[in-house]
Amino acid sequence: MGRLLRGELRKLVTTRLWLWLLLGAVTLTALYASLNIAFTDDPENFAPHLSTPEGQRLHVATAAQPATTFAAVLAAIGITGEFRHRTATTTFLATPRRVKVVVAKLILYAAVGAAYAAACLGTTVALGIPLLASMDIDFDILGPGMPATFAGIVAAGLAFGVLGVALGALLREQVATVVGLLIYRFIAEPIVTEVPALHDWTLYLPGPATSALVGSVLENREFLDAWQGGAMLAGYACVLALAGTLLTTRRDVI
Amino acid sequence: MTTHPGRIAVSGLTKAFGTLRAVDGLDFVVEPGSVTGFLGPNGAGKTTALRMVLGLVTPDAGSVTIGGHPYIDLPAPSDTVGAALDTTGFHPNRSGRNHLRVYCAVNGYPDQRADELLDLVDLTHAGRRPVKGYSLGMRQRLALATALLGDPDALVLDEPANGLDPSGIAWLRTLLRSMADAGKAILISSHVLWEAQQLVDDVVILQDGRLLLHGSLDELTRGYDSLERAFFALTSGGL
Repeated sequence: MGRLLRGELRKLVTTRLWLWLLLGAVTLTALYASLNIAFTDDPENFAPHLSTPEGQRLHVATAAQPATTFAAVLAAIGITGEFRHRTATTTFLATPRRVKVVVAKLILYAAVGAAYAAACLGTTVALGIPLLASMDIDFDILGPGMPATFAGIVAAGLAFGVLGVALGALLREQVATVVGLLIYRFIAEPIVTEVPALHDWTLYLPGPATSALVGSVLENREFLDAWQGGAMLAGYACVLALAGTLLTTRRDVI
Repeated sequence: MTTHPGRIAVSGLTKAFGTLRAVDGLDFVVEPGSVTGFLGPNGAGKTTALRMVLGLVTPDAGSVTIGGHPYIDLPAPSDTVGAALDTTGFHPNRSGRNHLRVYCAVNGYPDQRADELLDLVDLTHAGRRPVKGYSLGMRQRLALATALLGDPDALVLDEPANGLDPSGIAWLRTLLRSMADAGKAILISSHVLWEAQQLVDDVVILQDGRLLLHGSLDELTRGYDSLERAFFALTSGGL
């Protein structure tokens, strides 16, 4: 497995995509975090004020959606690219036990997802320190619930790395997988989770489960407990990873 | 007596896609020390058969062993079989050298092996450029280099001469000959008979998924002035 992981890591770093997507995730995080800060005094804002521990946790947690989405996209491209560019043939010739290939990708992209999350997390902290100071707000980086939020964001990045590989293994079609992921995370999920009548159901979707895991608080929304959110994400990741692995071992590589 | 590690034995191999029987009860053996041409028109089932040999496509019936083992059970597959199945199997933005280094890592070969192979296939000058800038002939050479990374006992090449210029074909012939002389079992497919005639010792001819003929090139072409004429005489005789 060590050799396979080294090979997969080499595939990742010998093209530049990981860097562009990381820059995209960090930039979007910076945008979300800046908007969150800019509107914190707005009375119609559902986010708790930045002077509260909940508000500061939410500020840090703006990293979660960009980091997890871009990590999942990178992971999905990492496996669907094998089929799109027909490198799957050489990959499976070198490792005919295809389960091992999928497992190596799951491990690698879980780690990369966690790293993306850590980078985006760092971005919110780095932005928050000067900006909150300029507003005379004391940014308590290790305040109540903050370590759990940090851990939750990194865990979510890890889970979405796994989800990306799993979805890619299931669908194999690169454009469909990536476009589907982006539409789901940036359009479909934000819309359906805003519908009050559906809150009892949308609570369990990957996005709200992630919000729960990272300890988000919004005045107009309810989330699961953090551990429940984590369990939901782990469940999605495990079920899809299992299905994707099984399909990869069974389908012909033509 | 143990089986030569590169001997490829195909037995009763069958695969249907829907109602189309792409490969139908195929039997043949590729002996070490010779170049076997796997010939037939486009759509005869050559590529599907080669993919079954290599465990990429699961046969409906029949079996393939390499050195006595199915591909999936080979302990170090890339040390035993080198395969080049298509010239598009590269990431366009990865350099040829990095492509080889990926598989050095996966197979546990030292990285310098990538440079040795680039040198062997005469691609050192282009090794650090992205593959998207390669010509068909260069991709063909890179695919061959990938196949040869593990210095395997058997080589399976799908249309390896496609895209090579005449000097490239001459080079390929010399290379394949030296590998066969070194005791490797070599199976190459082609739909271009005059090209194949320059490269092979034995022929397996496939038509509509079935084995039409399996024998030595000399036997087959006896009485004809080319493999092409022999082939047409043979196939029209069957109609």
